[in-house]
Amino acid sequence: MIEFVNLTFGYRGAESPVVSRANFKLAAGEFTLVCGPTGSGKSTLLKLFNGLAPHFTGGNLQGRIRFSGVDVTGRKPHELAELVGYVNQQPEGSFVADTVAEELAYGLEQLGATPAAMESKIQEYAELAGIAHLLEAPLSSLSGGQQQRVAIAAAMAAGQKILVLDEPTSALDPLAAEELVTLLARLSKQQGITVLLAEHRLERVLEYVDSVIVVNGDGSVVKSAPRDAFNNYRLLPPVVEFSKRVGIEPTALTINEAKLASVKPLAFTGLEASISGELAISVENLEVTYGKTEAIRGVSLKVHAGEVVALMGDNGSGKSSLLWAIQGSGQRTSGSVWSAKGDPAKLSVIERLGAVTLVPQRASDLLFLNTLAEELAESDRFNDVSPGETAKLFLQLSNRTDPKQHPRDLSAGQQLALVLAVQLVKGAPMVLLDEPTRGLDYEAKRHLARAIEKLKASGRSVLLASHDVEFVAQLADRIYLLEAGLVKTTGTASELLGFGGVLPTQVAQITEQPGLLLAEQVIAG
Amino acid sequence: MPVNPFRASALHPATWWFLGLALAAIASLSSDIAVELGVIAAAVFVMLTCREHAPWSRSVRFYLWIGAFVVSVRVLFRIIFNSSNPADAIAFSLVPIDLAGIHLLGDVTWQTLESAAADGLRLAAIVIAIGMANTLANPKRLLKSTPGALYEVATAMTVAINLAPQLIESLQRVRKARSLRGRSKGISALSSIVIPALEDTIEQSLGMAASMDARGFGRRGNLTTAQLATSRALSLGGILLISFATYFLLASNSQSLAIWLLVTGVLAIALTIRIASRRNLRTRFRRQKPGKKDTLVAAISLAAVILVVVL
Repeated sequence: MIEFVNLTFGYRGAESPVVSRANFKLAAGEFTLVCGPTGSGKSTLLKLFNGLAPHFTGGNLQGRIRFSGVDVTGRKPHELAELVGYVNQQPEGSFVADTVAEELAYGLEQLGATPAAMESKIQEYAELAGIAHLLEAPLSSLSGGQQQRVAIAAAMAAGQKILVLDEPTSALDPLAAEELVTLLARLSKQQGITVLLAEHRLERVLEYVDSVIVVNGDGSVVKSAPRDAFNNYRLLPPVVEFSKRVGIEPTALTINEAKLASVKPLAFTGLEASISGELAISVENLEVTYGKTEAIRGVSLKVHAGEVVALMGDNGSGKSSLLWAIQGSGQRTSGSVWSAKGDPAKLSVIERLGAVTLVPQRASDLLFLNTLAEELAESDRFNDVSPGETAKLFLQLSNRTDPKQHPRDLSAGQQLALVLAVQLVKGAPMVLLDEPTRGLDYEAKRHLARAIEKLKASGRSVLLASHDVEFVAQLADRIYLLEAGLVKTTGTASELLGFGGVLPTQVAQITEQPGLLLAEQVIAG
Repeated sequence: MPVNPFRASALHPATWWFLGLALAAIASLSSDIAVELGVIAAAVFVMLTCREHAPWSRSVRFYLWIGAFVVSVRVLFRIIFNSSNPADAIAFSLVPIDLAGIHLLGDVTWQTLESAAADGLRLAAIVIAIGMANTLANPKRLLKSTPGALYEVATAMTVAINLAPQLIESLQRVRKARSLRGRSKGISALSSIVIPALEDTIEQSLGMAASMDARGFGRRGNLTTAQLATSRALSLGGILLISFATYFLLASNSQSLAIWLLVTGVLAIALTIRIASRRNLRTRFRRQKPGKKDTLVAAISLAAVILVVVL
């Protein structure tokens, strides 16, 4: 179906090519995962499939790309539109229409389908994607998961046989992500569509894919069977880590495989119960209303010194609103927040930075200078700390980085570390993080986890909103599960994310042993 | 929830622009404070009752602020560069300043204030009337109604129109985020908010462009390059001619020249539409056609303009 022959692609001015002499074939109906560290060139590889690279991104292309034997090298994206459907990370930013039906029609209009054909194609693909009941709905009223389904249906409505998706699940809650991946698996198996999916959270997709393309960042792009891909791969999803730890041969890739192969019960160390210090923050009956929408309908919670607490819940359950309201600059309708330094809403910005600090979902919104060094120096000045303090903190949270780099060119993990350092240098004992793992690879997540553990060890408290079950299981002492603006349930990580909990981790699902959540808990024997 | 029968999408977007331009024309033709206030009140009322939850509908307050700004600047300038007729009733007196023969401040009469306010209000009314059209007309639906030949130009315009509310949204988000870090001394608060917001907006529009390209936008069917160039030149020329014609019609006394320009411009555009639409590959899904309501609104707007001209 698709063939890359000796394909090399690099951006102008870059030292080494992103893709160097890649050779692989994809069959019709094959479901392929594209993985690799952040910034390794996954997006670029995907863009090569429909000509966005080099026509949109610039750069030099050598080698050949063939679709069903036809050489399509050098064709422009709109010339490949009837062959390849492309879905990017943020569908809401690339919608061109207002309603679902109009959005699905857009590609058909460009390709010149007749109005009658459009109606029937739209109906057909909306049913395939499970959005037939939403056809007349405005796009802005849809949930993130529904928007992604619309983007997928729109990318295929003209009968495209190849579907390319760039991290489509990164903003979705676990359930919506799971539904999306099963939809893709169904499309490949039943409709014979070749699906290419870039994804960081391998645990979400591994059980469905037929093959894996690893993009290493040094130019090497290797396609292999899923099992072979992880033999030399540093970044492992929990199932693989578990099966290596327990010694399952051959390596189990899915929960079911691991379940069948693992011997129960396993000896494991319990998750450390945190010794709670003094009360750090206490939220009483907080309500947040925007116009007629009740985002938070009366939430009370407590966080103690040295404690990591997670807020979980579906998109739209009120996690972000709650964090912003606690921090004090977000809207509050009623209720109060207590901290040792007073209610954050009543403090000045600089006083607040000494009491509670928030890193928003898009950390890069806080960065505005031209180099890393300038950002660090500006932070020292603004926070009135001695020069070099922020840089010192940044080094603790991240690896060594060229200070002349532009903050926008830093990796997502480094940007997060920078904003964290800037926001923490005033010494706030309470840290609020909004979806910090969004867009991070395993390596960056491990860095972030280490940073959070350091904060915890120094007696600070962390309240983080996250969808990432595995990440939360690793760090959180307690969890509040939100639903429609209310606390639905609360408990320890073992209670909520362990076997029998609401959101069990992969290891909990495999072992079915209460209290065992993570591969590293298992005592290797 | 009952559907608002006065929602913006009940009318064709072109009708909203027609109404907006009619209100703007009324405002510019009149110099009566009451008429200007009436235009503003009508535009604001329509905006508030008909707007929908769309990104381009959130700028009502923004247009009102521009209006208020225009009026106050106008009045302030007239007070500073005072040229009141000493015979008229004095509203208040300020210490006069003489700078090398230029008289500043001094006695300000009611009449000065009134005419300054009327001037300012006229501009404000035009801004708000156009703002109303921009708020209510769905740019994407307007795009659907343009003839095939103008599709690419219209898309560029739509993306540009979309950019403004997107930028406002980004600005609001970044400003909110910046409040977390606090305002730095010495660095202009403006650049610290504008830079991330601009980067964000540009990134978003590039994303949109990539997605449009990937879905087939920019195909030109079997039109040859020469035909394409002709049709583009003709359409651009036609638009320019019509703009000049409008200017001459309003601003100068060479009416006959204006009419010739107008006729040529319209012909050029009609020709482009014929060339390109015949060979157009693109089809349209559920094209919105103007209905009875649209005819009614357009007729009333036109009648109002004629009434103002006649009176």
